[in-house]
Amino acid sequence: MAKKASLALAIGIMLAAGYAVFAAKGWQWKAALFPLAIGIPLFCLAAIELAWTLAGKEIPEEPAQKSSALPWAWMIGFLALIVLLGFPIAVAVFVLVYLKVQGKEGWLFSIVLTAAVWGAFYGLFDMMLHLPFPAGWLLEWLGLAA
Amino acid sequence: MKRRQLLIAAIGLAAAPLAMAQSAPVAGAPSFAGKTVTIIVGYKPGGGYDATARLLARYLPKHLPGKPTVIVQNMPGGNSIIAANHMYNVAKPDGLTIGTFNRNLPIAQLTSVEGVKFDITKFQWIGSAANETTILAIRADLPYKTFEELRKAKETVVIGSTGPGANTHDFPLLLKDLLGVNLKIVSGYSSSADIMLAVERKEVDGRAGSFTSLRPFIDRKLVKPIIRARSTEAGLEKLPVDESFAPNPRAKAIMALRSTPELIARPYVLPPKTPAPIVAAVREAFAKTIKDPELIVEGKKTNTELEFTPGEEAAKILAEVLNQPKDLVAEFAKYIKFGE
Amino acid sequence: MLEALWEGLLLVLQWKAFGFMLLGIGLGFWVGLLPGLGGATTLALMLPFIYTMQPAEAFAFLLGMHAVTATTGDITSVLFGLPGEATSAATVVDGYAMTKKGEAGRALGAALASSLVGAIVGAVALAAAIPVVRPLVLTFGSPELFMLAIVGLAFIASLSGEGARGMVRGFIAAGLGLLLATVGQDPQAGVARFTFDTLYLWQGLDLVPVLVGIFAIPEIIDLFVRGNSIAGNAPPGKVAKGAWEGVKDTYRHFWLTIRCSLIGTFIGIMPGLGGSVAQWMAYGHAAQSAKTPEERKQFGQGDVRGVLGPGAANNSKEGGALIPTVAFGVPGSTSMAILLGGFLLLGLVPGPDMLTKHIAVTYSMVWTIVIANVITVAVCFLFLDRLASITEVRGHRLIPVILVLVFIGSYTSNSHYGDLLVSLFFGGVGYLMVRAGWARAPFVLGLVLGKIAENYLYISTARYEAAWLTRPVVMVLIAVAIAVVVYPFFQTRWRKRHG
Repeated sequence: MAKKASLALAIGIMLAAGYAVFAAKGWQWKAALFPLAIGIPLFCLAAIELAWTLAGKEIPEEPAQKSSALPWAWMIGFLALIVLLGFPIAVAVFVLVYLKVQGKEGWLFSIVLTAAVWGAFYGLFDMMLHLPFPAGWLLEWLGLAA
Repeated sequence: MKRRQLLIAAIGLAAAPLAMAQSAPVAGAPSFAGKTVTIIVGYKPGGGYDATARLLARYLPKHLPGKPTVIVQNMPGGNSIIAANHMYNVAKPDGLTIGTFNRNLPIAQLTSVEGVKFDITKFQWIGSAANETTILAIRADLPYKTFEELRKAKETVVIGSTGPGANTHDFPLLLKDLLGVNLKIVSGYSSSADIMLAVERKEVDGRAGSFTSLRPFIDRKLVKPIIRARSTEAGLEKLPVDESFAPNPRAKAIMALRSTPELIARPYVLPPKTPAPIVAAVREAFAKTIKDPELIVEGKKTNTELEFTPGEEAAKILAEVLNQPKDLVAEFAKYIKFGE
Repeated sequence: MLEALWEGLLLVLQWKAFGFMLLGIGLGFWVGLLPGLGGATTLALMLPFIYTMQPAEAFAFLLGMHAVTATTGDITSVLFGLPGEATSAATVVDGYAMTKKGEAGRALGAALASSLVGAIVGAVALAAAIPVVRPLVLTFGSPELFMLAIVGLAFIASLSGEGARGMVRGFIAAGLGLLLATVGQDPQAGVARFTFDTLYLWQGLDLVPVLVGIFAIPEIIDLFVRGNSIAGNAPPGKVAKGAWEGVKDTYRHFWLTIRCSLIGTFIGIMPGLGGSVAQWMAYGHAAQSAKTPEERKQFGQGDVRGVLGPGAANNSKEGGALIPTVAFGVPGSTSMAILLGGFLLLGLVPGPDMLTKHIAVTYSMVWTIVIANVITVAVCFLFLDRLASITEVRGHRLIPVILVLVFIGSYTSNSHYGDLLVSLFFGGVGYLMVRAGWARAPFVLGLVLGKIAENYLYISTARYEAAWLTRPVVMVLIAVAIAVVVYPFFQTRWRKRHG
């Protein structure tokens, strides 16, 4: 995995640096100088790292790392909830669902913790700071938005 | 006894409609009682637009019918184009959302900046809460005391700026390119305060900017004002105006175009299609708030002095900005880019 | 001067001023702790309330609030690997690593103790620097500030992994950071760089969503996958007991802590460098104090010096940042700009007056910083074992709470969903870097210093052409930068020779 991660990073950065150089060439020199001065050496260094990684051996990790697919799924799911339901509702739903499904906690604990987190969140970020929280897409679509 | 009671009852009955008339609003006049009015600011907290909005938010409840709560929400991004887009496309026209944003947005619309999703003339304009006067100030110990002398200067005068789109940059740029003044503009300073430090260090010789932000330094005799743009304030009337030196009508028009948004320096709008009675009520409330003596005292202390320009006037000024011939706009865009 | 010092102290010790300071501390405690409650935003919100107060009271309140955020920001960094403030990110690297080894108490103790030392050093500097402050700040012009950014970047060498391979990776990470710093409208020509036609990217990438993503998200994944508590399988009871050990660590590495405090103060004094730089330079310097490559490898795995350095620096820079604000009216950071607004509101004009006529008020500010931090640290120590034992709670109970903090912390920068995407994206980048064994500190350094380096380079060249390279301070700084870069190499060779 370490080797694959290094490969992904090296290739990704080479692509980013390459794109940067390509895009910068069209700008006036004042705007392009810095990106070019960084982008070109970055591309070369990333290429060196890529070569190094390809030539090297895989280092076995101890202890063996499990897949990270599930945590990513939860995080992206949270983001989807925020977009679909709006931040405040998403926070309550996510915490409750996570505690029950992933945490396998009892109902009492889950509900109490969810209420506490949601209360603190709402009190601080909505009532005190008045952050704008757009209504969720789903709610708007269903005509339920406030 | 009965008669007395009857008399009192009769008087009470007669008075009741009178009392009700006092407390109930006239049919049709809007009331914000029990509601929350939100002012959306297109910048992060701490800047001038935000400070003005928060100052207004504190005194508006007194003067809005129904005495609602007024809160401020920040919606930064895209030099406040995001906030303007939101006000135009998303905010409901019920009078509960007021927007304030970059005064140069008319220029953004005029020069077809990518991402603009509004027509600034279609907002319901409350008005402007302040004027701004842009001046150029140079170090007091330089030998040039008037603009004429500066113009004749043989040595380059270095002016610091934050970047294109800010008045620190655009005002001297036009002086240099259109009037031929021997200026070198060095941009990239992170804030106008940093430029002042550079002035003290003699790294740069001056900066352009709003009179309000330069006043402490003028009072300290670090810099002195040399020339101003068309908008004026108390104490600056005698200062020469950049447009008056324009060599031709085209140059004068370009300078005027840059300066005009400063007459609507702190724009406040309601979403398009907000009903006229609500707009009128909010305009009145703004006018009264800005004249509120407590607000004036607080404003003086924080250097946020307000002056109300009603919506109708603002609309006229906007029309002036946007009704420009295409070739003028094209030439203007060569010098001025939309930015901060 | 002693008179003014005494007068300043008396101003703070009045009942009302002291009361307001306590209120400010109470507020600032939470502001620093919670990501998303930024010091600057909260200061802006509090400004209207100080209108009716006396100057000394108002400053006790504002400063009490502000001085404390740098201290408590370290707490979330250490306990959850989530920076409570952008200025507490460097504390995450070794602080959280210590927590995972079950040494949360020790890490917290070290963070708090070093914060106190840093705050005191910063405050003393503020008091002592008053006569020399003007010439000092005036000597550092744009060329010098550019060189300071280069010196900062030179620390990449010390922050990278070991060996040539580590160095290459460090420079790649830094290069990526520098490149990302160019996203947005450039201040030279107004070109929208790398914005992909979105309004969101016009003003560049905000630091907080990136930091929160790159540091916190990989740790959340790790915690999830491990399934146990943050402290792992540390023996019960060990976690909480380490606090005193942490304080003793501060003593053991006393001179390092002082040096890092001085670095923080110095960076704080230089307006325009931004608040996030000091902690990373201090961290880099702390890493340099490792005497052998094996020791050096410990940094990032939980070396207490990696907590002491940034812990001290992010507090001392507050005292430093007050200096240009008070002496010149030029704020050293956004929070200072708001504080400046407070000055004006109270009728005080920053500038030479604050160092002469109103010097007692200036000294009252110094005392406020010191006293506020003493109180905060004392209170934290009382709850330290309670705080540290959070790390023994089952991970799956904490993860949803931490994730909520991550997302809201990222959202409050711009109230834009784009920031959430940015956090997730850099979470992915951070995750890959951790798995591949790349250091993340050089990336952050590049991101933080990119704009400063570019802008000051342009200003220097535009203003002085090539002549700026021969200015005396610039040449000194070039030497310092070279020294910082080659130091690790010399260390290894010296070791080999005398080893």
